[in-house]
Amino acid sequence: MGKLEYIKKEYERTRKTKGKWYLSSYKYKFNTTHMKFFLEMLKEKQLVGLKCRGCNTVYFPPKLVCGKCLIQPDKWVSLRETGVVATFTATYDKNPETGELTPVPVSQIRPDGADTMYPFDLNPDIKFDEVYAGMPVKLRWRDETKGDLNDIVCYDRIEDPTEKMDLYKMEE
Amino acid sequence: MAGRQVAIGGAGFSAHASKRSDVNMPELVHEAVEDCLKNANCDINSIDSIVFGNMPSFEGVNYPELWMTDEIGARNKPLLRVTTGGTTGGSIGIAGYYNVTAGLPGIDTVLVIGFEQQSCGDTSIGLASVAYAEVSAYTKFGWSMEKNSKFFGAGAAIGIASYQAINYIKRSGATEEDLARVVVQNRHNAAKTWWTHLKMPDLTIEEILDTPYISYPLRYGMVTPASDGACAMLFTTEEKAKDFTDVPVYVNGVSSVSNENAAMGYAGSGTGQLDPCEQIGAVESAKLAYSQAGISFPEKEIDYIEVYSPFPNQELQWLERLGLFEENTAHLRYRDGTTAPNGELPVNCSGGVNSTNAIGASGLERIAESALQIMGKASNQVPRTVHTAIGHSWGGTINLVTLMVMSDQQKRKWKGGE
Repeated sequence: MGKLEYIKKEYERTRKTKGKWYLSSYKYKFNTTHMKFFLEMLKEKQLVGLKCRGCNTVYFPPKLVCGKCLIQPDKWVSLRETGVVATFTATYDKNPETGELTPVPVSQIRPDGADTMYPFDLNPDIKFDEVYAGMPVKLRWRDETKGDLNDIVCYDRIEDPTEKMDLYKMEE
Repeated sequence: MAGRQVAIGGAGFSAHASKRSDVNMPELVHEAVEDCLKNANCDINSIDSIVFGNMPSFEGVNYPELWMTDEIGARNKPLLRVTTGGTTGGSIGIAGYYNVTAGLPGIDTVLVIGFEQQSCGDTSIGLASVAYAEVSAYTKFGWSMEKNSKFFGAGAAIGIASYQAINYIKRSGATEEDLARVVVQNRHNAAKTWWTHLKMPDLTIEEILDTPYISYPLRYGMVTPASDGACAMLFTTEEKAKDFTDVPVYVNGVSSVSNENAAMGYAGSGTGQLDPCEQIGAVESAKLAYSQAGISFPEKEIDYIEVYSPFPNQELQWLERLGLFEENTAHLRYRDGTTAPNGELPVNCSGGVNSTNAIGASGLERIAESALQIMGKASNQVPRTVHTAIGHSWGGTINLVTLMVMSDQQKRKWKGGE
């Protein structure tokens, strides 16, 4: 028998009032200077990453500080348009008429030459069942680039030379 | 100069459920405090200091520790609140350890309290308040809010876990059945522990595989619940511990290691992490804590493990990263029953976070259950004698790992020194 047991006997349920917490009423600040050159190069249909001189990690998109070395990465390197799906999961689109759920892949892509991954769309024609970690992909540019992240429309699937090799299968 | 040896005097829990509508926050916490003091055969006068923790913004109350000062017995006593997201429980445990080991005059016995009443609040607002500052940067570089919500809707707590699961499955060759097997073991164990939330003694693998996907490859039956509950623990000196319990549990190593913020990079930049299940923070954390405790062969020297695994793939991943099983073999150990309560290396006999998740308390419950297994007082006590156990937790902005190594033997002292 607890000391506060009498409260529970008297009230089977606690009383409630409702309140709301609006996150949009706060101000969040961030730096944009390190992205400037990156976005300019996107306009010219070129991918660039920022390389840390301490650990040779190539950050894509650029990063203001390298967490491993605590210095500012300052060497620009160009990256290829090909890349791999580093990891992925699914969101579900609901058909408003039938209520049917279709899985849509949400992928994180690592461009070749970079050491980091970033969320980008895959080609909408790629079915969720076809996606796997390590799938090679190639970038598709927007027709008229404007210098923002939307210049990369999506990533298309390309032929995987390792697909027929059983490298990742483990014997039980 | 080495600090004082720290011991655990006792632990207490409130009952956990999805909605504790019979109590409000202070009353819920009071249940755990009362249970802890009862188990340690003492009253509030034995407590010198209090460490408190919960997840900020999940219930919409700032400074809950000051709201419930009287219910937790903190009047006229030092009170400290520590909060580090999912690891809050682990961090307050470590803060309790620091408080005792520092040897401040007059502070010997510290009451550590963690709680969460998720039914009061809005978990999605809580999580959004963690990620909103980062995510809002993306809109400045051209992404629409719709695109953001697609990526980050999939990238909340379960999204992060499903990224880890995809990579773990690719690495190890584990199947969905293996993930379900972990869940079944946890829920069966939870049924034998009095304070847990999801008690399912008859759950089968098939039943789990029948449920729909929440986020591929994790199904509805595999995910952690949102619970209301609280946990309290007593950290004290080795001399005083004998007043509280017959078998004092000694804390021999603690560590708290943060890695890169693994969700998204800062201000729209990239992250330096490619494999979400690599978890270097856990590896470093294990190195640090084991070296303090003098453990060289964790897989042989550790008898019992509580890991923080809201999702089943994480349980497999942590066991490997903490050096308890070889890389990519953890799912095989679940198949052969090594991790069952009567197996060689029992894991999560309380049902783990997979069965009960009151976030601010979860990490502390891992430590508490490990300590109770050593004392021999756990609800689901393992048949073998437990000498050394670990309590692990994971969280923050998914980049912090804490670990506590406990034993029934004191830490070996350095010769000479001091």
